Amino acid sequence: MGERDLFYIPLGGTAALGAATALTASIGFLRTRDFRFDSLAHAATETSLAFLGAAIVSGCFVIHSATGLWWTWDARLTAALVCWLLFATCLMLRQGVEEPSRRAAFAAVWSIFACLDVPLVAATAAWWKPGKALPIEWTWPRLGLLAAMAIAGGLFTAVRARHEDSGCVPPVD
Amino acid sequence: MSAVAVDGVWKLYGDYPALRDIRLEAEPGTCLALIGRNGAGKTTLLRIIAGFSRPGRGQVRINGGEPRDTATRRQVGFLGHGISVYDELSALENLTLYGRLYGVADPPRAAREWLERTGLARVANGLVREFSRGMRQRLAVARAFLHEPRVLLLDEPFTALDDKAIGVLSGLLREALAAGKTVVMSTHQLREALELATQVALLVRGQLAFHGACTPEMAADPGLVYARYGEG
Amino acid sequence: MMGFFRQVGVVAAKDLRAELRTKEAINSSLAFALVILLMFSFAFDPLADTTREIAGGLLWIVFAFAGTLVLNRSFARELPNDCLDGLIAAPVSRAALFLGKACASFLLVLGVQLVSLPVFGIFYNVPWTRQFPELFLVLVLGTWGLTVVGTISSALTVNIRLRELMLPMLTYPILFPALLGAMQLTAILVAGNPIGPGDFGWLKMMVGFDVIYTAVSLALVETILVS
Repeated sequence: MGERDLFYIPLGGTAALGAATALTASIGFLRTRDFRFDSLAHAATETSLAFLGAAIVSGCFVIHSATGLWWTWDARLTAALVCWLLFATCLMLRQGVEEPSRRAAFAAVWSIFACLDVPLVAATAAWWKPGKALPIEWTWPRLGLLAAMAIAGGLFTAVRARHEDSGCVPPVD
Repeated sequence: MSAVAVDGVWKLYGDYPALRDIRLEAEPGTCLALIGRNGAGKTTLLRIIAGFSRPGRGQVRINGGEPRDTATRRQVGFLGHGISVYDELSALENLTLYGRLYGVADPPRAAREWLERTGLARVANGLVREFSRGMRQRLAVARAFLHEPRVLLLDEPFTALDDKAIGVLSGLLREALAAGKTVVMSTHQLREALELATQVALLVRGQLAFHGACTPEMAADPGLVYARYGEG
Repeated sequence: MMGFFRQVGVVAAKDLRAELRTKEAINSSLAFALVILLMFSFAFDPLADTTREIAGGLLWIVFAFAGTLVLNRSFARELPNDCLDGLIAAPVSRAALFLGKACASFLLVLGVQLVSLPVFGIFYNVPWTRQFPELFLVLVLGTWGLTVVGTISSALTVNIRLRELMLPMLTYPILFPALLGAMQLTAILVAGNPIGPGDFGWLKMMVGFDVIYTAVSLALVETILVS
């Protein structure tokens, strides 16, 4: 296996961690109505989208070097593409709602819908194209890269969330 | 126990405070007139009381219950800016529908009764789409009163009513008050409101500038409250 | 519990009566379905064997697109005269409101599908009646998934600008598992073949999807309607 496929699994893994963060933050917002959870969910969704996009592009390069084709409807990449669309719709929904508390509530609900779909999408893609995805080997370089990307993703999310927080509802006295 | 109790309610749209620390109460059998300029927050407050939106802070109680509870909603009649009746259904079908939704006994009979009381009996089977504006408003009034609510929340009810409809509504409100029901009405049509009101609350830019009894001088000179407590 | 289902019935009956009186949504949905079927006939030779293999998949594209026209109306029909306020103020649980609307939309979309199916059968010359009971089951499962997600999306997008675009954009990615399952099973059944044991997984996927998304929608609809 070439050097390039060192990247796309950790990229996807980081995106998955981002999605889990977004899911938890969305549930947190719905229970507490604290806007900091909303900022976190928004930032985590953006991070996931970015990392997943990079994973898909990187995956295309891997497939190209192996088969000469840019896209082969490989189960993993198909699932990644559908998940990318799911997260993109979460962000699109946010853009469409102007009032901040409604926007946060709607985005939280839709994040839950989207994140619940991720395992279903993965299973569906695997059944649709069985046997085509190569098993993942968790070598130390891959794990190291996953940890590094997860930290980078976490930092990016935190900065983004803090940036949004500052535009948020100030505590009233 | 107050019929309507608003305790420390704030509503924020992003950074903008639409309502700031509103505290007011309405006792059973009283009529509270919520007055204020456009944009003062009257509709926002009324919709929070009715349970359409959540306050950012604070709470509302209607007869001790949370506005979003089903049991509380059964006791409330809401008349908003829109008439909330379906154009493609007939007057009778609309009222029967609401009768069923509110658990009224024998909805078709109650519907016919209220069509009588609002002068719409002759057009009972006409589609709302074909009604005149005044008829639509009277149907909306029938819808709000149909289930004999204990608390009536009305958002600028006299706006866009023709004389006949104003007569019908005023009569129904007087009856309701005499029967010990509670009315909270937002309005900038001061004259009609102050004739019925026992209490007045003035909202100025989201804050309560005045909350007290409606005096005969206020009823005689509606601009008085604005002049004394408002921004002129 | 009986009260809940009675409320569901009242809401569903109201939606159905209003729709059947105007027929706006079903007429446009049916017309759209037939137009797409026609266009697919130009794109893929309807009498070729290869087309017969993909026919089941094509059918669900038609159903998904045409269904969106009906689903969009679900909460949009409450906008004129602020009727949505009337429903939210009423002492009806939001879950019953959602379920009532979903049931009404389900029946309407299923109706459009059952009218489109014979037309499709004729255009593509497929023996769709051979496995009709199983085909009907797949239609019901797939349509319920489409309806539930579409009705929740309708509630979310009712006050958003570009509503007609946002609803399909939200609905289709979520539906990927159910839609793919429906396409796979329909392709088999419409060709006149029975569902084999290897395909039961798809059936379970569709049932699982329907159960999960119905439950989540019922739980979260209050948050959407009152915020």
